[in-house]
Amino acid sequence: MKIAEAWARVKAVRTETLVRAACVLGLVALPFMVTSVFVPTVWPVLVALSFGQALGTLSFALYLVAIARDLQLARRLRSRDAKDDAR
Amino acid sequence: MSAEGGIDWIGWLSAASAVAAAGVLGMHLVRRPPLSGERGRNTKLWLLLGLGVFPITSAGTANVAGFAATQSRTFCGSCHVMEPHAEDSNDPRSQSLAAIHARNTSFGKDNCYACHKDYGMYGYVLTKAGGMRHVYLYLTEYHDMPLEESKHDIRILRPLPNANCMACHTTTAPRWLSIGDHASSLEAVRSGTVSCASAGCHGYAHPMTKLGKELDAGAAH
Repeated sequence: MKIAEAWARVKAVRTETLVRAACVLGLVALPFMVTSVFVPTVWPVLVALSFGQALGTLSFALYLVAIARDLQLARRLRSRDAKDDAR
Repeated sequence: MSAEGGIDWIGWLSAASAVAAAGVLGMHLVRRPPLSGERGRNTKLWLLLGLGVFPITSAGTANVAGFAATQSRTFCGSCHVMEPHAEDSNDPRSQSLAAIHARNTSFGKDNCYACHKDYGMYGYVLTKAGGMRHVYLYLTEYHDMPLEESKHDIRILRPLPNANCMACHTTTAPRWLSIGDHASSLEAVRSGTVSCASAGCHGYAHPMTKLGKELDAGAAH
């Protein structure tokens, strides 16, 4: 039930907002992921492999949600146009 | 990280991908190009690079570099309780077993990992899982422990198996068997009842930690 509610909330967000949130999350995630290359000690590596990866994955997931929504919308518009043409 | 301690090509690839991704994302946030229409398609393709291709490349290469880094002595010595072990390995005059192995040019900078890793098919995974246990224990028990106390109290969970030594030092070579002590203790070495890294054989790998609870136990007897 909670997942359905969360999904409904995501669906209500504008695509532009979703993509901007994905960009911000991506910008936050990138330094976390790369720091471990320059400082290969325990904490930077752990943070890169956990927090950095999680933020990066979430950012990409938001982008995919935005694209999926766009495709869904385009399909709906096409089917509506097809129905209109049929009438 | 490369063997010399600098950043190797995979690290630079990770950094370059991250910079490219940051550039694309920054440009998108500043310029706010449209997401619909003909220009929208280009925007989405740029975002695929900025949110997908470049960050995945960066994360993947950083993972490879990160996992390689976890094998280095610098990494092992970055928890303060391991500093004496790392310093001993770094000491060119030290005659401890660990330091002697650290001077081996083939794996010297990774000498902690070379001796302590689990061998076998799942050795890498098991070693990494064991490493996570170390991190957990460090966070929950040893983070604030003074160095002297840690040298006194912290010990390896299980004695280092001779199999780890035998991964490099064969016990079947005629040269190895030509040494009297080796030949006479062959079965004991193979079965693990006598440790290669014991006082009567090749000495302790980390002698600086043998002045703690082992001595206390000896005094009690």
